[in-house]
Amino acid sequence: MTTAKSDRRPPMAATRWAPARWRADPLDIGIVVVVLAVIVAGILTTRFFSLANARAILASSAWVGITAIGATVVMIAGSAVSLAVSQTATVAAMVFLETQQFGLPVAIILTLASGVVITALQGAVIGFWTANPIVLTIAAGFAIDGVAIWISGGTTVYPQVTAFNALNGTPLGLPLAVYVLIALTVLAELFLRRATAGRHMYLLGENPAAARAAGLPVGRVTVVAWAIFGACIALTGIFLAAFNTSANSSLGGTLSLDAIAAVLVGGTAIGGGKGSALRTLGGAVLISAISDLLLLRGFSTGIQLLVKGILVLMVVVAVHVRSTRSRR
Amino acid sequence: MIRRLASRPEVLVPVVALVVMLIAFLCTPLINGRALTSFDVYNTFQGLAQLGLLTLGLGLTMIAGEFDLSVVGTYALGGMIAVRAGQSSPVLGLVAAVAAGAAIGAAQGGLIARLRIPSLVVTLATYIALLGLTSAMSGGLDVTYNNTAATLWIDQPVAVIFSVPSLATLAAFAVAAVIFGGTKIGREVRAAGGDRRASRVAGIRVDRALVGLFTASGTLAALSGALFSYSYATANPNPGFQPLILSAVGCLVGGVSLAGGRGRPAGLLAGALSVALLGQIDAITAIPDYLTELLYAALLGVIVAIDAPGLRRGLDRLRARALTTRLQNRRHTPDGEPHL
Repeated sequence: MTTAKSDRRPPMAATRWAPARWRADPLDIGIVVVVLAVIVAGILTTRFFSLANARAILASSAWVGITAIGATVVMIAGSAVSLAVSQTATVAAMVFLETQQFGLPVAIILTLASGVVITALQGAVIGFWTANPIVLTIAAGFAIDGVAIWISGGTTVYPQVTAFNALNGTPLGLPLAVYVLIALTVLAELFLRRATAGRHMYLLGENPAAARAAGLPVGRVTVVAWAIFGACIALTGIFLAAFNTSANSSLGGTLSLDAIAAVLVGGTAIGGGKGSALRTLGGAVLISAISDLLLLRGFSTGIQLLVKGILVLMVVVAVHVRSTRSRR
Repeated sequence: MIRRLASRPEVLVPVVALVVMLIAFLCTPLINGRALTSFDVYNTFQGLAQLGLLTLGLGLTMIAGEFDLSVVGTYALGGMIAVRAGQSSPVLGLVAAVAAGAAIGAAQGGLIARLRIPSLVVTLATYIALLGLTSAMSGGLDVTYNNTAATLWIDQPVAVIFSVPSLATLAAFAVAAVIFGGTKIGREVRAAGGDRRASRVAGIRVDRALVGLFTASGTLAALSGALFSYSYATANPNPGFQPLILSAVGCLVGGVSLAGGRGRPAGLLAGALSVALLGQIDAITAIPDYLTELLYAALLGVIVAIDAPGLRRGLDRLRARALTTRLQNRRHTPDGEPHL
């Protein structure tokens, strides 16, 4: 992965035909085409452009979106992706339901703490030892799943008290999770742009060797990024638990892949150093709009997944082509 | 001798793992009090067949410094195509599955080589898409394979301890070993994994090698999926990450490094066989599923942590510091030791 970045072909006079100021950006063109296609297909689909459907799109993007914001921070900091997200969210949901009798605030705090600890531990191995994040998180996901089955006995967890009903409220007609997602996006964007730690993450993702040479606390920055990610996953777990009112080992579903898809479709570079929380929000909403459209047109979940994969592939190629072109 | 082995982890690790697992396997009668039979050996080879082809495919891409995450997707798709297309003619299903796998692999390899995109993200996107395609082909449900004659034929023992899938797996490893050992391809692939830029400068056709490797991994994964959907008489649209975990453990135990540039087919075979033996030991001693899961996760986690370059750097730093302090202490000793 690192070698692929450095061995470019010698610079060419490739864009002589293009105006000096503005160059056709493959990513922007692609996104515009996709959005236009969605709009056209939406006009042709009954009930797509309605207030109720807009609400449904926002609501369905909220859970994935919250996790994806955390995944954005980690990807910007150069740790690629985590494939242990589904399992972590499941465990967080179980912790949340098991701690209901202590009251909602305590349950939320304990759940967030569990998510942060589980995820930051993986971040520590990745940050301090530069372990391969993909393989490590695959292993971690398996371990978390195994421990969860071990402790829960493989059964569904039901809460003794339901203190969480407040989380299922829909102020102004939108689920609470949507507001949390928007607030989280703004916070993450501010953190990434303004806070020292956030700017460190861009530097670390852009060039780990330079960051290390500049004396950046690489391990610590990575752990902070993963801790934020863990808190976001735990938040998703809380909303999943509150919505389903019970949790079993398959609650997390395809959250890992959905979150990665949202981040990548938002145009954040997998290699790190580029991207933003706002773009991820856009990616999450775009994916749920497309899924919603396919659903209204009667396509199966398999087709939705297929389209999602192809979209991710296209955006990844476009982002990559853009970054190599700007280097020339 | 030992020192020479220790400096070659691609030989040392698989040999040690295989010996340890063989001893543990031979000791299982001490735990459950039942003597080992030829059926246990047959089952071990069945286990090898289950993960061997995936291990070989994934391992080949890892030697070249890439990581083909999509093998599980191709595995699922291969199984589904074989069951769909091979209800009347198993050979037709097998050919269709393998052709699809090869095409997917070649397309990915072309994209990765031509645009020089990290293979991980390309194969991740392909994995999502393939999962969707497989699920769309089956409506998200398991599809049963009704050709019982083929199912019975494929699992009948050959020479007591082998079966068609396990022999096919061994044959694939033999072919890979011959190609890797007998031609310059092996060295070229390792060079491409070790230092991509230097090997391009040295005139190695890295792009061609990458396309070849990804085609191989796609083919092997689809073949594996097809054989096993025949064997189980069903195709599962979403096998999850379990097959990937087992084959990743097999690769790393087989002496391949995640950084690339290290490993050979014989090591991969030893790694896959070690994992198969471990699986058989699990089955004989009847360990609960979640503990098996935990065991593999721990194994993979530990290997990844040990394989991490940062850990080695840290250890080197510690060793250097210890050496400096020892030298300094020696310099300060008053009893006339030589100054360094």
